[in-house]
Amino acid sequence: MINCFKMFSMDSRLLEIFLNSFTRILIPGLLVTIPLTIVAFFLAMIIAVVVAIIRFANIKILKDICRFYVWIIRGTPLLVQLFFAYYGLPKLGITWTSPFICAVLVFAFNEGAYASETIRGSLNSVSEGQIEAGYCVGMSYLQIMWRIVLPQALRAAFPSLMNGLIGMVKDTSLASNITVTEMFFVTRTIVTTTYEPLLLYLEVALIYLLFSSILSKVQTVIEKKLNAQVGK
Amino acid sequence: MSIIEIKDVKKNFHNLEVLKGVSFNVEKGEVVSIIGPSGGGKSTLLRCLNCLETYDSGSIKVIGEDLKEIKDMNSFRQKVGMVFQQFNLFANMNVLNNCIFAQTKALKRNKDEAKKIALENLQKVGMEKFINAYPNTLSGGQKQRVAIARAISMNPEILLFDEPTSALDPEMVEEVLNVIRSLVNKGLTMIIVSHEIDFVRDISDKIIFMDDGIVAESGSPKEIFTNPKNERTKVFLRKVIRN
Repeated sequence: MINCFKMFSMDSRLLEIFLNSFTRILIPGLLVTIPLTIVAFFLAMIIAVVVAIIRFANIKILKDICRFYVWIIRGTPLLVQLFFAYYGLPKLGITWTSPFICAVLVFAFNEGAYASETIRGSLNSVSEGQIEAGYCVGMSYLQIMWRIVLPQALRAAFPSLMNGLIGMVKDTSLASNITVTEMFFVTRTIVTTTYEPLLLYLEVALIYLLFSSILSKVQTVIEKKLNAQVGK
Repeated sequence: MSIIEIKDVKKNFHNLEVLKGVSFNVEKGEVVSIIGPSGGGKSTLLRCLNCLETYDSGSIKVIGEDLKEIKDMNSFRQKVGMVFQQFNLFANMNVLNNCIFAQTKALKRNKDEAKKIALENLQKVGMEKFINAYPNTLSGGQKQRVAIARAISMNPEILLFDEPTSALDPEMVEEVLNVIRSLVNKGLTMIIVSHEIDFVRDISDKIIFMDDGIVAESGSPKEIFTNPKNERTKVFLRKVIRN
């Protein structure tokens, strides 16, 4: 333990690598990891809501397509999905203008499948009486879903959905495998030139931890607001 | 022409026959109460009247429309309000928005007009001080009063009450019954499923006694309560009045 402490505090070369690499890692974090996460998660939420409502409302044929989609995505590893999309699909004529776009779509469809199950569960937890009350004041099914059931379901699903978001921040490191120059990709590059894996992987881990901690904080704040909205 | 015409309505839930041929009419502006033992089909019949349940055979006509042939279900339901045992206020909206929402969305009233109507009705039910409160901060009696205000804000022609006081603590029953009493004599047709025997005797024009999926007896409150003819009515009334 003491050796470990000495290693970081006494060695000026290590300190220099640490400081130099910090911004080099943080910048792709801010410019790639965060945008990748935000865009992919946003798309994932749209997919999840649509899939969840289709399955909740029991719409023929579409519901089977959605179930198939969730089955495939949940049943295969994310890394395999990334490789399949980026290296495999071009063989079928689907080419990517950048690995970033490919990664966004893979993460969106992956998280969309998981989140759709979370939202479907929350939709089921909204009492049938809310829907009946909506019918009894003459509203259409879509109006009831959109304005009454979905807002309540999303509030209930919020903590689990944030789980998914925080998970996705970390999972974006897998995108380094398809040449997306996000934080982990850059870190690996620096390790190959400095040969300091202990320091650098610790450093990148801390930056991921920092991002996740900020999101956890954001979650707490939003949850308080959401609860205030229903008078809790 | 009666505002509600029910003819020989039958309904099964799987193998259980809940309605075994129910017939009666309700005239415009009448207050009709349906009483009878639990499991007798009262709520099921009531829920058939605004198409929350379907029926297997027979016919129901409400405001001149055959329920099996309704084309625009939403505008039909705007004319038939309902108050539930479990209140069913929209949990994600405050009291005022509960009363405004459907007015603007379904009736396409403008926001100011809808608000004015909502406030008038909330005042009628004594809930005007709670317009910003959310349903989960209200007591059962308060929720039910808001639910009534929400229903009458739609200006329905018929209002259905499905055991409106059965989920309330005893001390809150009276405040809700008083609100329902205040709605009588406004030309509004009301059908009330209730176990509050004294209340229904007071306010009803007609009592329907349902047992085991049929109308066992019907008549004015005086006929039913002072001189019941059917043996099952007598047994039921002895039980509830003794309590």
